[in-house]
Amino acid sequence: MRLSMNRLVFGLLGNKVAAGRRVPILVVCSIFFSMFFLGLGWARPKPKVFIRTLKNKHYELIVEGKPYFIQGVCYNPIPIGKNHEYDWWSDLARPWMVDGRLMKDMGVNTIRIYQVGQNPESVRQVIRDLYQNFGIRVILGHWLGFWEYPCPLYGDKDFQARIKQEVLDMVKTYKDEPGLLLWILGNENNYSCAGMVNPWSTPEIDKEPDPIKQKQMRFELYYSFVNSLAQEIHKIDPNHPVALGNGELIGLEVANKVCPDVDAVATIIYRGKTFGNLFNSLRATFDRPLIISEFGADCYDAYLNKEDQNMQAFFLESQWGQIFNNRARDKNGAGNCLGGTMFEWTDEWWKHKEYDPDGWSVHDTESFWSNGSYYFDIQAPKNMNMNEEWFGIVAISPEIEQGINKRIPRKAYYVVREFWKNPQKQKLQKKNIKR
Amino acid sequence: MKKIAILVLALALSLPGLGFSQGKNEATGETAKVFSVYSDKRSPDNHYIPSGWMGDYGDIKLNDQFMENPHSGTTCMEFVYTAKKSQGQGWAGVYWQNPANNWGSKKGGFDLTGMTKITFWARGAKGGEVIQKFMVGGIKGAYADSTAVEMGPIELTDTWKQYTINLAGKDLSYVSGGFGWVTTSDLCPNGITFYLDDIKFEADPSIKPESRKQETMPFYVYSDRSSVKNHYIPSGWMGDYGDIKLDTGWKEDPYLGDSCIKIIYSGKATQGARWAGIFWQNPANNWGTVDAGFDLSKATKVTFWAKGEKGGERIEEFKVGGIMGEFSDSDSAGIGPVVLNKEWTQYTIDLKGKDMSYIIGGFCWATNVDVNPEGATFYLDEIKYE
Repeated sequence: MRLSMNRLVFGLLGNKVAAGRRVPILVVCSIFFSMFFLGLGWARPKPKVFIRTLKNKHYELIVEGKPYFIQGVCYNPIPIGKNHEYDWWSDLARPWMVDGRLMKDMGVNTIRIYQVGQNPESVRQVIRDLYQNFGIRVILGHWLGFWEYPCPLYGDKDFQARIKQEVLDMVKTYKDEPGLLLWILGNENNYSCAGMVNPWSTPEIDKEPDPIKQKQMRFELYYSFVNSLAQEIHKIDPNHPVALGNGELIGLEVANKVCPDVDAVATIIYRGKTFGNLFNSLRATFDRPLIISEFGADCYDAYLNKEDQNMQAFFLESQWGQIFNNRARDKNGAGNCLGGTMFEWTDEWWKHKEYDPDGWSVHDTESFWSNGSYYFDIQAPKNMNMNEEWFGIVAISPEIEQGINKRIPRKAYYVVREFWKNPQKQKLQKKNIKR
Repeated sequence: MKKIAILVLALALSLPGLGFSQGKNEATGETAKVFSVYSDKRSPDNHYIPSGWMGDYGDIKLNDQFMENPHSGTTCMEFVYTAKKSQGQGWAGVYWQNPANNWGSKKGGFDLTGMTKITFWARGAKGGEVIQKFMVGGIKGAYADSTAVEMGPIELTDTWKQYTINLAGKDLSYVSGGFGWVTTSDLCPNGITFYLDDIKFEADPSIKPESRKQETMPFYVYSDRSSVKNHYIPSGWMGDYGDIKLDTGWKEDPYLGDSCIKIIYSGKATQGARWAGIFWQNPANNWGTVDAGFDLSKATKVTFWAKGEKGGERIEEFKVGGIMGEFSDSDSAGIGPVVLNKEWTQYTIDLKGKDMSYIIGGFCWATNVDVNPEGATFYLDEIKYE
C-alpha cells in the first residue's frame, strides 16, 4: 500500500514537470504526502522518553533518542530531628544541590521520588535544579493512597476518583519538565490485596467464601484501577512511560490480564546478594520492562551491634552486578532490566519511632524487621537484623555544613561508583564476590 | 649427615601420621594417593577420631574393634543407634575429627588437596537400615573446614557395599571433620545397627567434578515417616514455634502408606509473633547457610494432600523455595490462603515458568492466630514434586 501510494505521488509529479513555476510547490507537496503516507515524518513524533523492544525481545529505555540505563537512587532527604511530614522541597538550604553534586560525582543519573511535595513551585525548582546543574533526571511517583487510614479502598468509586484526580493533577503539573524521566504508580500496594499490609475489602469480596478467590478479586480491582490511570496518563502525557510499582512479583499474573496500558514494572526487591530468578520470572508472568525501583542493604550489623559499611557495600555491588547482567544487549541475561534506584541516598533518622519527636534526633539501632537474605547479622536476637534508619549510602551528621546535615559518603558510595565506571571489568573481577 | 637423614626418614616412616600430616608429603611435595580415616582399630594409618557425637548422643553405642565379619583386616566399627531420643533431638550422628572433639576451635585440619573422592564400606545388621547422610567436612568455627559435602539418604544392605562421595573440584585444603554420618529417629524408629570399614580419601584422577544432577521425578518431600524417599527435614520452625506440635509418624487414617504428618497449632502466640510455620529444609536448619539445594528443574508442580481435624482450618500459605541466604533458593512458588476440608484433599502448587534448579526449602506452611483464633489441627501427606 505504501509503495503504490508513493508511485502515485511521483506519478503526479512527473505529469506536472512541464508546468514551470508550479514545480517547486509540487515538489514540496509530494514530499509532504510521501512522508505522511510513509509514516516517516510528521505523522507521529517519537516520544521524548520511550521503551524500545529490540529484535531479541530485550527492552531498552530511550531518552531523547539515546539509550539510557537508570543508575538511580531513592531520594527523601529528611534532616535529623524531622519526620516524613517535613517539606524538604521548600528547604531554603536546598539540600538537593549538595546531594546533586555528590550524586553526579558518583555517577547517579536518576533519583526516584515516592510522592511529590505539596508546593508545585518548590517541586519544579528541585527537578530543574537537579537536571540543569547535574543532568540528573527524576522519576515521580504516587502512593495511590496506600498509607491512608484505615486502609486504601480500591473497590470504592469515590476513593478511586479522588486518587485519580491527584495523579492526573501531578501529571499535568510536571509532564513538561525536561528533567522528568517517567511515572511510577504505587509502591508495594499489591501487598494490601494479598492481605499482608493495610488489608481492604468490598461487600462483594466479603461474600466470596474462598480466600484465594478473594485475593484474586482484590488484585483485579487494584490492577484494573492502575491500568485506568495509565490510560489517562498516556492521553495527557504521551512523552513518558508509566510503570506499575509492585512489591516483589506478587499478583503480577493478574496484572498480566488487566494491565495492557502499563509500560513497565517497578519492583521493590530485598533478596540479599541476589535477585534470584526475578528477571526470568517477570518474563513468564507479566512480560514488561523492569525497573528495580527499591533495593539495597542497611549498614548496621544487628548481631555485632555496630556499623558495618563493608556489609552494605558487599550487597549493593552484587545487586548492581545482576542489574547490569540483565540489561538490554547483554547476551547472558534476560535483557529486560532498565536499571534501578537503590534505597537510599541518605539515612532517615525518624523511621524507628516515627511518632515520637524525641526519636527523630536519635540514630536508632534497634531493628524491627527480619530478612534472612541479609545473612551476616541474621543471628541477631529474634533474627531482627534490618535497621531501617541505616540504609543510606551517604550518612548524615548532626554537624551542619552548608546549612544542612553534613553528608558523609559510606563505602557503598565508592564501591558502586567504581562499579559504574566499568561494569564489564567489575563483572569479570567479581565472579566470586566475597565480603 | 647420612645417619641423620636415615634417622629422619625412619622417624617419618614410623610415624606416618606425621609424615603425611597435611595430606601432602612435605619432603617430596607429592600428594599421597590414599589418606585413611579408618582402616583397623590400631592401624597407624587412621587420621581422624570418631569423637564428634551429635544430637541424641546417648542413643549411640560404638564398638570400634568389632571383629565379626569386618570388610578387611581384623576389625570394623559397629554402631548401634537406639532412636530413643535421649537428648530429645530426634537425630544423632558422629563426626571423625582431628584432633578429637575439635569443633573448629583448634587448628587440626589436614590439607587433602589432590584427593578426589572418599570411599567407605558399610553394611546393616539386617539390611534396610537408613542413614540420612554421610558427610565430609562441614565443621564450622574459628577454624572452619574449607568444604562441606554430603551424600544421602542411603539404605544399607546386609552385606558389605562400597560407597563413594565425589570430592573432585572441592576445596580440600583444610578438613578437620574427615567423615561423618547422621540419621534420624523418623528414618529408624526402631533403632539400627550398622557397620563401617575402610574409610579413606583417594586421589583418583579419573574422577571429574560432579555437576549438580537434576533429580528424577517424583521427588518426595514426605512419603512416610521412615521412608528413604523423604528428602527434606521439617526443621525450620518459625514465628511462634512454641505453638506447634509436629508428629511425622501419625498412623491414624493416613492418605497413603502407613503414616502421615499431624500438626497442632495452638494459636497461643507463645513467642508473641502471632503466626507460625515450618519449613522442610535440606539439611536440617539450613537457612541458606549450607550449599545443599536440590536441582528440581524437571518438576512442573508440587502436589500434597491435606485435611483439617474439623474442616475450616485456614493455612495462609503453602510454599516451596524462597529461602534466601548465602546460598539462596533459585525461586519460590506457593498457594494460599487455603481453607482445609475435613476429608483428604489434594492441592497443587504450579511450578511452570519457575526456576527450581536449586531448592533448599522443599516445602513450607504458615498460618496465624487471626485466622485461627482457636488454633488448628491439620494433616499432610504425600508431599512431592512431579
